[in-house]
Amino acid sequence: MTHSRTSRQVALMATVALAGTAFAAAPAAAQDDANVCDGVIDGPVTLEMTMHTGSNPGAEMETVDAFNAGPGAELGVTIDVIPIGEQAYETAITSAAAAGEMPDLVDMDGPSLYPFAFNGLLSPITSCVDQEKLDYFLGSIIEQGTYNDELYSLGSFESGMGIWAHKSMLEDIGARIPTSIDDAWTGDEFEQVMRDLQAAGYGANGPLDIKWHYGAGEWRAYGFAPIIQSAGGDLIDRSTMKGSDGVLNGPEAVGALNQFQTWVDDGLIDLIAEDDNNFTVGPDGEANTGDETPLSWVGHWMHSLYSENLGDDLVLIPLPDFGNGSKGAMGSWNWAVSSGPDGVPNSGDEADLDAAWAFIDYATSPESVLRFVNGYGAVPPTADLADFPGFQEGGDRELYIDYLSNAHSDPNLEQNGSMARPATAAYLFIRDRFSEAFADIVAGADVQSTLDNIVMQIDQEIEDVGY
Amino acid sequence: MSAIPSGGAEVAAEVAAATPIRPPQKQRSRFTADTVTGWLFSAPAIILIACFIILPFILAFYFSFTNERLLSPPGRETQWIGFDNYARVFNNPRFWTALTNNITFSIVVVPLQTFFALFLAILVNQKLRGVVVFRTIFFIPITVVMAASAVIWVVLLNPQGLINAFFEIITFGNFSPDWLGDPAYAMAGIIMVSIWASVGFQMVILLAALQDVPESLYEAARLDGANNWQQFRNVTLPGIRNPLLFVLTITTILAFRLFDQVWIMPDRPGGPLDATRTLMVDIVDTGLNQQAVGRGSALSVIFLFIVLAVTIVQRRLVKQEGEIK
Repeated sequence: MTHSRTSRQVALMATVALAGTAFAAAPAAAQDDANVCDGVIDGPVTLEMTMHTGSNPGAEMETVDAFNAGPGAELGVTIDVIPIGEQAYETAITSAAAAGEMPDLVDMDGPSLYPFAFNGLLSPITSCVDQEKLDYFLGSIIEQGTYNDELYSLGSFESGMGIWAHKSMLEDIGARIPTSIDDAWTGDEFEQVMRDLQAAGYGANGPLDIKWHYGAGEWRAYGFAPIIQSAGGDLIDRSTMKGSDGVLNGPEAVGALNQFQTWVDDGLIDLIAEDDNNFTVGPDGEANTGDETPLSWVGHWMHSLYSENLGDDLVLIPLPDFGNGSKGAMGSWNWAVSSGPDGVPNSGDEADLDAAWAFIDYATSPESVLRFVNGYGAVPPTADLADFPGFQEGGDRELYIDYLSNAHSDPNLEQNGSMARPATAAYLFIRDRFSEAFADIVAGADVQSTLDNIVMQIDQEIEDVGY
Repeated sequence: MSAIPSGGAEVAAEVAAATPIRPPQKQRSRFTADTVTGWLFSAPAIILIACFIILPFILAFYFSFTNERLLSPPGRETQWIGFDNYARVFNNPRFWTALTNNITFSIVVVPLQTFFALFLAILVNQKLRGVVVFRTIFFIPITVVMAASAVIWVVLLNPQGLINAFFEIITFGNFSPDWLGDPAYAMAGIIMVSIWASVGFQMVILLAALQDVPESLYEAARLDGANNWQQFRNVTLPGIRNPLLFVLTITTILAFRLFDQVWIMPDRPGGPLDATRTLMVDIVDTGLNQQAVGRGSALSVIFLFIVLAVTIVQRRLVKQEGEIK
């Protein structure tokens, strides 16, 4: 397994870098222009920043505090945080934008970025970033931050998806335990493993935990779109970006979700758990007694809880291959600069881009990245993994890096690797429809007609708004 | 700018209509010191109602004929599109699902909740020691924010939760549905929570009404040999007729505004399979989440007319029976 970037990512980064130099090469326009990084912070300034508060907002807050006390104090830049709950985060920012109260900096969950960029609410940071900084990141971070050939954001961490498992339980039923994305279980093999676990009495409410209690929203698109992508379907037709007909409701997607639905019907999926404890302690409240849920379909953020409880019994397994390769997910929260309170580009109320960049630059520095990786078990966003033994070859989370370094965005490509969430302004609409449809399919709805229905809505929306 | 009517207008109108009609007063000239003072005192209310109810409604009415969006890319102009939004709403099967759910909910909840409210009011109207404790207990759910009790009820209604533990005991394990996950039971679960959460309010109104019925009427009825049922039928009911009608109407309006529970409790707002999707969910989903302010406004206008129509019809039907006073 190589950890090098794909040619597509290199091309993308080159584009961004070129655009960056083009900006830098226009010195006259750069003077006193708040929308372009000129390398000079115009004066002491306080920037407002909205930030999501998840279950563990520690690293974000620590980063802001460290910035305000250190580099911020030297440069005369102070970040003033407006914390907002994760559940209604996009709605809160949308309302702020509609009311002409956009903050100066925003923290965005993955592709939520694109609708805001489309509506002119964000300022590109292409002119701020240099080649050295671009090279420092994994390609996926640059890809996530790029919309319409402009760089809008950078993230302090990447993400990873997989199935956490109790190794001893898999060994007990004699299952093959895949070790890299290239020997993932097929869909049918995975089904057999779950059936064997069920027959052996593991997992009172079903052997597979899918974090159903996270509820509607980003998790269900992030976590379960890989199922249809692995079968050869997708959320949107990436060749046109103008509709989903034939890919979201095509035979591949329908087939994979039909199979998933039978797992629900046969009691293989735990839909009852109300918190994260079913995988670690089970109904008796004690760890390592054999009554825990054996498999957990979730992202990197569970690593610290799971590894503390399971120790050496914890193993990370790639997501099953439904026919077109094992596909992971990628992307996470990222930092972007707004186009001023009124949300209108070049209207003169923008914050000094150099000041905003000073924070983003610090928040993505090695020092900050360490906070996120150590604090959240997050995947490092950097190309260099020297400081992160868990993610190097042989580490317990090497899998995440394999997914990311083989990332691509062609559903027809039979390749193991993560697929980026589509860079379209219609993303939030598509996400909400898919999340809704997935919940309905779990509740027993007919897969084909449910997907046909949301495809109709998505195509209509894209036509209406002109995305 | 709000695409969502608060429903405050309908409720306010109902409260006004339910208060006893005063004897007609002599016509006075328009600008006496009294009328000026009167206007001054009502000014804050009038201004607030104008700003937060009348103006938003006029705006919603206007937006419903345009393709206004919550956020738009720079350079996009809002256009007048006639009745397109209305056509889109009426052609959308989800609108009819939502309307059907609203009607189902109202048909079950309005009689059931009014009955329970009256039942509880009569129970706590007894002259017993410690009855205040029971009044407080029945009223407590009203003091809890709906969103908070919804979250707690999600846990109670879990397939392995307390409610099912109870049903399993009394049915010997034959009845333990997935209340919020099974489309067949989701609305029943919501109805249960809704009645629990708001029956105390109606109870208090009816309790006040019960205490207004003069004791002398009961004494006279007993002298005439009326039994308990006859006293209830011929003294209590006529005595609380107006408050009872008020309770019926206001429960209907509140039932149509069903939102918090169905947004918070199911797997997804209005789920599973749209089994608990209501018009309010449709309005918020369309106007806020999907940012289609124009279509959301059209939905709000339609919603207002539906509620208005239901209320008017209800009052007409009841009035025909003649006033008892």
